[in-house]
Amino acid sequence: MIYFDSAATTLQKPPEVVRASVYAMTHMASPGRGGHRPAMLAAETAFSCRQAAARLFHVEDPEQVVFTFNATHALNIAIKSLVSPGDTVLISGYEHNAVTRPLHALGATVRVFTGPLFDQEALLRSFEEQLDSQVRAVICTHVSNVFGYVLPVEEIAARCRAQGVPLILDASQSAGCLPVDVQALDASFVAMPGHKGLYGPQGTGLLLCRSDTKTLLEGGTGSASARQEMPDFLPDRLEAGTHNIPGVAGLLAGIRYVQREGSAQILRRERRLVQLTARGLSRIPGVTVYAAQDPTLQAGVLSFRTNGADCEEIGERLGRRGIAVRAGLHCAPLAHQSADTFQTGTVRVSFSGLNTPGEVEKFVRELKPILSSFSAPGK
Amino acid sequence: MLYSLIVCRSLTYAQRTAAVLGRGGITATIFRSPRAIDQEGCSYCVRVARQRLTDALLLLGRAGLPPKRVLMLTQDGLYQEVVL
Repeated sequence: MIYFDSAATTLQKPPEVVRASVYAMTHMASPGRGGHRPAMLAAETAFSCRQAAARLFHVEDPEQVVFTFNATHALNIAIKSLVSPGDTVLISGYEHNAVTRPLHALGATVRVFTGPLFDQEALLRSFEEQLDSQVRAVICTHVSNVFGYVLPVEEIAARCRAQGVPLILDASQSAGCLPVDVQALDASFVAMPGHKGLYGPQGTGLLLCRSDTKTLLEGGTGSASARQEMPDFLPDRLEAGTHNIPGVAGLLAGIRYVQREGSAQILRRERRLVQLTARGLSRIPGVTVYAAQDPTLQAGVLSFRTNGADCEEIGERLGRRGIAVRAGLHCAPLAHQSADTFQTGTVRVSFSGLNTPGEVEKFVRELKPILSSFSAPGK
Repeated sequence: MLYSLIVCRSLTYAQRTAAVLGRGGITATIFRSPRAIDQEGCSYCVRVARQRLTDALLLLGRAGLPPKRVLMLTQDGLYQEVVL
């Protein structure tokens, strides 16, 4: 199996991630739910994970690191903490449904700043035109999950800071490969999955909090149990119910892997694979490849589409040949509208630091006969 | 052994407290707070030797980690609140 769907979930995990999760399942109980050894071992693991995440993302203290089930969960908390029905929110044209659906459900007034793919200047111009005193919050993805487009979040964050507008950063595709410095950005919230670039298990996510929060769930926290109100302190306030400790243990091992390998090194590997893929695909007639001229504008995700072949069918046929990619709208219709690919969707290949150039070569080789079969008479 | 209990608002806070004390050379162990002193129900505390309490509070003050409450175990086995 060649797995090129890491923008959804990294499938190949460092072996220590699996070991850590299995060990947690057999040796750890619930943090905050007892003073016995299995509970305290779970507590130590959770705290180590918070510390590791705080170091990696430059969070002031580990209490601001909240465990969630995924990035969508984290984004829901962040959005519902800052946005009330009717508020005006400014979002990029490359957001995922994890951002747009909660805003829709809240009844927020949504403004979109956008621009052509890989054109950061146009995006910033659109942002500046629309950032005014009515805007209650800005939400921006760091990297498009469809195109790998790296958005100019440092500049956006600086303008938010100057205007005093809270920023929510969606680091779903950047955490683990691009620098995410929460303090330098001065973001109110940063949301990320644990199961993508941090190589943790599915069912893990992080919300890095630097603003007041509203609860999404209420329930037991193992603290202040005599009171019926949720605790007013983090992380307990946002972590009702039993923790996913096998997930947290695996996430800790994943973060340590990223720290050991180095985010910059992982990004270099992924970018090299993107460039190899773009080069290979661009030689196939009828294929449109969405690759940035300047490689620093793209992370380890690349989309393409072809004349005459449905993207879902290409994805299906690649899957039958043991190559996992994702096709369609990738839960990000807004990004496809911005890039003018909404009608067709795209085929997306997305890498982890564990993929190899040999896999890319094989993928391009396997794709060619699939595309030829579409153009052959009677197909 | 006579000891002091530094009561913390949460387990994570207790872990931060114990980490700061440990780095400062003070042995600190996390426990669930005894029910008798646990006014709000379910909390954690950090136990330190009674003679290290002053040093511990100084370290915590410098780290910006004020305790919720501090209690000392007395000779008769009761907890006495330390006024901070």
